[in-house]
Amino acid sequence: MRRWILALAAMTLLAVACAEEAPSADGGSPSSSAEENQTAAECTDEYKADLFAPDILTIATGNPAYEPWYGGKSEAGSEWKSGDFTGDPHSGEGYESAFAYALAEEMGFSADQVNWLAVTFNKSFAPGPKDFDFAMQQISILPKREKAVDFSAGYFDVNQALIANEGSPAIGVTTLAGLKDLKLGAPIGTTSLQVIEELVQPTQEAAAYDDLDLALKDLKNGQLDGVVVDFPTAFYGYADVVVGQFPDLGGEQEQFGLAFETDSSLVECANIAIEAMRDDGRLDDLKSEWLEVDTSVPVFS
Amino acid sequence: MTEAIRIEGLHKSFGDLEVLRGLNLQVDDHEVVCLIGASGSGKSTLLRCIDLLEPVDAGRIWIEGDEVTAAGVDPNAVRRRIGIVFQAFNLFPHMTVMRNVTLAQEKALDRSSAEARAKATELLTRFGLSDKADDYPDRLSGGQQQRVAIARALALDPDVMLLDEVTSALDPVLVAEVLDAIRELAGAGMTMVIATHEMGFARDVAHRVAFLEDGRILEQGAPEQMFTGPREAATRTFLDRIIAAGRM
Amino acid sequence: MSEPEVFSPMGTPGLDPRFPRGDRRSKILGGGSARTTWVAVLSTVVFFTVAGLLIVRSTGWPEVRQSFFDAEEFRYAFPEIVQKFGWNVFIFCVAEVLVLALALLIAVLRSLPGPVFAPLRILAAGYTDIFRGVPTILVIAMFGFGMPALQLKGLPNSDLVWAILSLTLVYSAYVAEVYRAGIESIHPSQVAAARSLGLTRGQALRHVVLPQAVRRVIPPLLNDFIGLQKDSALIAFLGFTEALQRARIIQANDFNFTPYVALALIYLCITIPQTRLVDWLIARERTKRQGGAEL
Repeated sequence: MRRWILALAAMTLLAVACAEEAPSADGGSPSSSAEENQTAAECTDEYKADLFAPDILTIATGNPAYEPWYGGKSEAGSEWKSGDFTGDPHSGEGYESAFAYALAEEMGFSADQVNWLAVTFNKSFAPGPKDFDFAMQQISILPKREKAVDFSAGYFDVNQALIANEGSPAIGVTTLAGLKDLKLGAPIGTTSLQVIEELVQPTQEAAAYDDLDLALKDLKNGQLDGVVVDFPTAFYGYADVVVGQFPDLGGEQEQFGLAFETDSSLVECANIAIEAMRDDGRLDDLKSEWLEVDTSVPVFS
Repeated sequence: MTEAIRIEGLHKSFGDLEVLRGLNLQVDDHEVVCLIGASGSGKSTLLRCIDLLEPVDAGRIWIEGDEVTAAGVDPNAVRRRIGIVFQAFNLFPHMTVMRNVTLAQEKALDRSSAEARAKATELLTRFGLSDKADDYPDRLSGGQQQRVAIARALALDPDVMLLDEVTSALDPVLVAEVLDAIRELAGAGMTMVIATHEMGFARDVAHRVAFLEDGRILEQGAPEQMFTGPREAATRTFLDRIIAAGRM
Repeated sequence: MSEPEVFSPMGTPGLDPRFPRGDRRSKILGGGSARTTWVAVLSTVVFFTVAGLLIVRSTGWPEVRQSFFDAEEFRYAFPEIVQKFGWNVFIFCVAEVLVLALALLIAVLRSLPGPVFAPLRILAAGYTDIFRGVPTILVIAMFGFGMPALQLKGLPNSDLVWAILSLTLVYSAYVAEVYRAGIESIHPSQVAAARSLGLTRGQALRHVVLPQAVRRVIPPLLNDFIGLQKDSALIAFLGFTEALQRARIIQANDFNFTPYVALALIYLCITIPQTRLVDWLIARERTKRQGGAEL
């Protein structure tokens, strides 16, 4: 008898859950500004009610924050501890940190009006109200992700590369086919992992790690033949050799974007800022200042 | 006639409590000796010491002329020669009756399983339990279980059987069947030391009755003499109490 | 007073003397009559409906639903995760066999009597303390990342081996205690009886104590096995792609938590039957223990 009760209860719950839901309290799609040619600062001013903290731009990123995206020495009392390969977002050094402050300025915030929040990767897209305005953590814009977050326009064109240490069988390989029998790894949540699975299709399962340094540890131990990371990270010296770069997934240029809460009106404002920075070359300047990239590295064919 | 058991100056303490204080006892082959005495007088302890289940503090014990308390004696070998049955039967509940009786034969005596089974069947039949051979102990009555326990001990062909109040835990209705089994054993000439409260039975079966008091054998003698005309005052008091409790 | 009816099928008021509180099944529902049964059913339905509606009408529900219960994502993720779950099954089956053996050894070592065996007892006790005292994930991480780093010749480099080994070491500590409790629950008179028959200590242990002890502790053994099944997912931390890792990869790629729900469902499918089995075994032991008393 008890079993029937349980079954009945379960079915009731299921029926209710699948039923029509009440319309959500949030409004519909973000209203676009009536005016064209509005500056990012003006836009932000218009929607400043949407800010998490009044008059403050709160940005979420991961901890540790890896070079060359975040550099510099950590400030006193900062959650981020800088080291050989890690930096502090507060420093303004490193591509993303520098980009963040430039973006903030464009949107009408001074450097003091920028707050950083350390979050796990999952937190940047978990459902529910956020403690930040947007997340910036080398997050690639992917269609499936659009259901959970609203992406800004891309602020960086990213390619993937393979790094390895001396003595690895990966060194000298120039074709995707040549990589098939190797043991490769990448951090979770990155397109690096997708690249291995879709472009290389290795015979041995790719190893997926929580964090870049765990992948590098296995690389050092010899348990991995190579690690796939984005281009700028590859050249930062995490491993001995950059073996090669990968062609684009699905023929489309991969880009990093800022991840906003769905239906946030501030995306518009950020986009205006990003386009402005792209048009006047500031994005390129940031790139040349903070990222060393050797484009002569061969592409796997 | 050889001595089956000889005990000299046996001392045994549990912590501060001295239970056996220099006890002496001889039992001849084929003799049946009943131990009587109040609870705590040391009957159980004495039997367990004879079987080397308890280490003795002082004193010497001989079984069939071999000193078992000497250094270097293998206690397991000694225990194979002595059969002991306890008040609480202690059958192995996870084995059938048959297996209970054959296990020690095979492991301790190295008998073949055919031999062991044959011996077991013989004993179980003798005690009227042959139809229970494939049952588990929990399906048997207390009296039946105790008879299995006796058969299990007998299966090793011991020189001596020690019975420690084997009917005390039984329903009165079931006591008779166990006493009958013991009577039969005695009749067949088994050397036995029986601790018991069943005075009528002791009178019937024993060649000698020994009264334990204060960790020693205070008085012993033929049953008739012990029960009708005990010499010691303590013996008299004890027997009076038994009669008053209606147990004789 | 009228005579009690001899038999009353569920639904008719009346008393069956065999079941003083009414039909055994409807006893759970708090009564013996049809009416109480229907009240129970009704109140259950009402309760869950109200609870369900409260959840569904909450403002955050659409987001949570899309994030955790997305049908399309589920359809995509489920087959992938189930396929990888085969690795988990392999891991916990192999580990369990090793655990049952190693734990028995440790339990026996720990119960060896006499001063000469003291070092073995201390070793066994220390082992148990250490591996029960450190979080399992740490043990796996230390072995999985630390051992290969030592670069010792002859040591396997495989995550799989280190994960199985770590799980075995940790769970053997728990299971050894379970065995030990079982062994100690066997009344010393059993050992006395065995020894009085001339069996050695070892023979008594092997033939009399252990068979009874192990049988007694099957429910807690099964519980620990269920724990082991769940902890097989911890190998994900080493980068090995079993079911949890696959779920995390999909989750991170698609920004969606539905793969986790899929994995949880898979786990429930195997653990719930086992927990029911444990319940049944415990109930059966109880009736057997009571039923086997003196006649």
